[in-house]
Amino acid sequence: MIKTSNLAFKYDRSDVVFNFPDISLGPNENLLILGKSGIGKTTLLHLLAGLLSPISGSIEIDGVTIHTLSEQKMDKFRGHNIGLVFQKNHAIRSLTVMENLKTRLFFAKKPISKTAITDLLEQLELTDCKYHGLAELSVGQLQRLGIAMAMIHQPQIILADEPTSSLDDDTCTTVMKLLMEQANANNANLIVITHDQRIKSLFNNTLTL
Amino acid sequence: MNIWKISFRNFQYKPLFTVLSVLVLSISIALLLGIQQMDTTFQKQLENNVGDVDMVVGAKGSPLQLVLSSVMHIDNPTGNINYDEAQKIAKNPLIKLAVPISYGDNYMGYRIVGTNNDFSSLYGAELEDGRVVEKPFEVVLGATVATQLNLNIGDSFLSSHGLAENSIDEHSEPLTVVGLYKPTGQVIDRLIISNLETIWLAHHHEEEGLEEEHTEEDGHEEGHAPEEDHKGEHSDHEAEITSLLVSFRGPVGLLSMPRNINTTTNLQAAIPKFEMDRLYQFTGIGVTTVTWIAYIILIISCITIFASIYRMIRERAFDLALLRTYGSNTFQLVKMVAYEGFLIVGIAFFFGILFSQTGLYFIFKMIAQQYKQHIPFEIPFQSVLQTGALVFFMVMLSIGLAIFPILKMNISKILSHEK
Repeated sequence: MIKTSNLAFKYDRSDVVFNFPDISLGPNENLLILGKSGIGKTTLLHLLAGLLSPISGSIEIDGVTIHTLSEQKMDKFRGHNIGLVFQKNHAIRSLTVMENLKTRLFFAKKPISKTAITDLLEQLELTDCKYHGLAELSVGQLQRLGIAMAMIHQPQIILADEPTSSLDDDTCTTVMKLLMEQANANNANLIVITHDQRIKSLFNNTLTL
Repeated sequence: MNIWKISFRNFQYKPLFTVLSVLVLSISIALLLGIQQMDTTFQKQLENNVGDVDMVVGAKGSPLQLVLSSVMHIDNPTGNINYDEAQKIAKNPLIKLAVPISYGDNYMGYRIVGTNNDFSSLYGAELEDGRVVEKPFEVVLGATVATQLNLNIGDSFLSSHGLAENSIDEHSEPLTVVGLYKPTGQVIDRLIISNLETIWLAHHHEEEGLEEEHTEEDGHEEGHAPEEDHKGEHSDHEAEITSLLVSFRGPVGLLSMPRNINTTTNLQAAIPKFEMDRLYQFTGIGVTTVTWIAYIILIISCITIFASIYRMIRERAFDLALLRTYGSNTFQLVKMVAYEGFLIVGIAFFFGILFSQTGLYFIFKMIAQQYKQHIPFEIPFQSVLQTGALVFFMVMLSIGLAIFPILKMNISKILSHEK
């Protein structure tokens, strides 16, 4: 459940004010946000993740008005309810796959269940590299680890920032399918921002900025 | 998973870099600790060696030389003095104990000191075994001498002329061991104690047989300065000693007697504690210099640590931003980086102590061989604590400064710059 209204944002040292259309997603609904570079896609995603605060308007996730939370509370809320997928940097470099997932659960303050981790790794075909360092993983494996990291703590919303732009066509489809399946299995809202036209057909619900 | 574990993994992540940081820091800790410890040990050792000797009376010359030769037994004597004259001084009521000593011979580099049985009480030395010297050519050995030369009661040996080890110029009369002293950690440990007559008799014989040889060899004169006096002395049948060690009843003697002797007699009185302080001031400059060098190294290693932690934070900015998106708060990130600092400091401190202690062990061993004396080896906990606190403070300050950017971190900005 996610709802925004009259969202506007301005960077400190800039005069440009971004105004965003309202978003309203019910349970299990997904959204693809398309747009050119510099239009404010990542800004919108960071607003939804509580990493930035809007100058006006409101953001409500599961009934919580997140932009009014204190920094500490926002950190906690984000760790617990939001999963983020990035384009390139997917996890902590000094840790192994397993350690990364445990770390994610630790900061989300959720019980660290080894079976849950193993199950997820199995679904994402990462079982073999459970104890590998990130340097040993391929780009596709890294992107799947990124999904695992956004998923392991069973968040309410998954926000993905250009998850497919550095992937080839096959991997792109696989990764998107996994992302959507996982979001569905968790009853989470999936919001993907991209300029990658390849994945447009996978969404019923799109928003162009 | 917890913060400690993550810190530990970060610590392991760049091994070469970590090892270098730890190494630089531990070397500076080792230097700081080592210098402090050496300084305190030597000072203590010097004070210790003075024993109960408040004043030493000997021939005119350098007072420092007189103390170094007659109290520390590491220098050559200034000359000889007349025994009768010395005994007159010894009768002064201000004096608690006056011990005449005479030396000029050695066995395997260990000095043979002719004295009376009061000598051991100046150093609080007790007999471990056997008895005190009763007749000429009997000796009691200091603890180090006995163990190093593996001599026991009943053994006998030939002493050599002079204060340095040599086997060419041996005396003909053998010396017999009759007793052994317990270890004291003081100068008596490395001395061979005999009575005055032993020295006189040895040199009396000597003169009759080897007079020519003596005048030819100049080297001996240094090692055995009273040479010429000896010849005169024996022809006059006047006994001579090298010096008189004096212990006073109270401070009054210390105030009046040395000046009195120096102005009214042709003898010289020196105060060991005063001379040792003077000596210590000279060597102290060296110690101060090295201490400052150690502090400079410490500052450099702190800057290195600061630079490495700062760089690590910059390099890991994305990781740290990711951790924020995982739900960690700023305080947890600070803790994570600080723990890494603790690890580096802790390990560096461990190795610092290890390096300094092994280093000092070998230095002291070398000194012990050179000066024939065992130096008690102790870890000065107070200076370890002080240095520890200082290093810890410096490193924590570096970390504090390096962590500052995390507190001001704009996660959104870092995350959007990934592309």
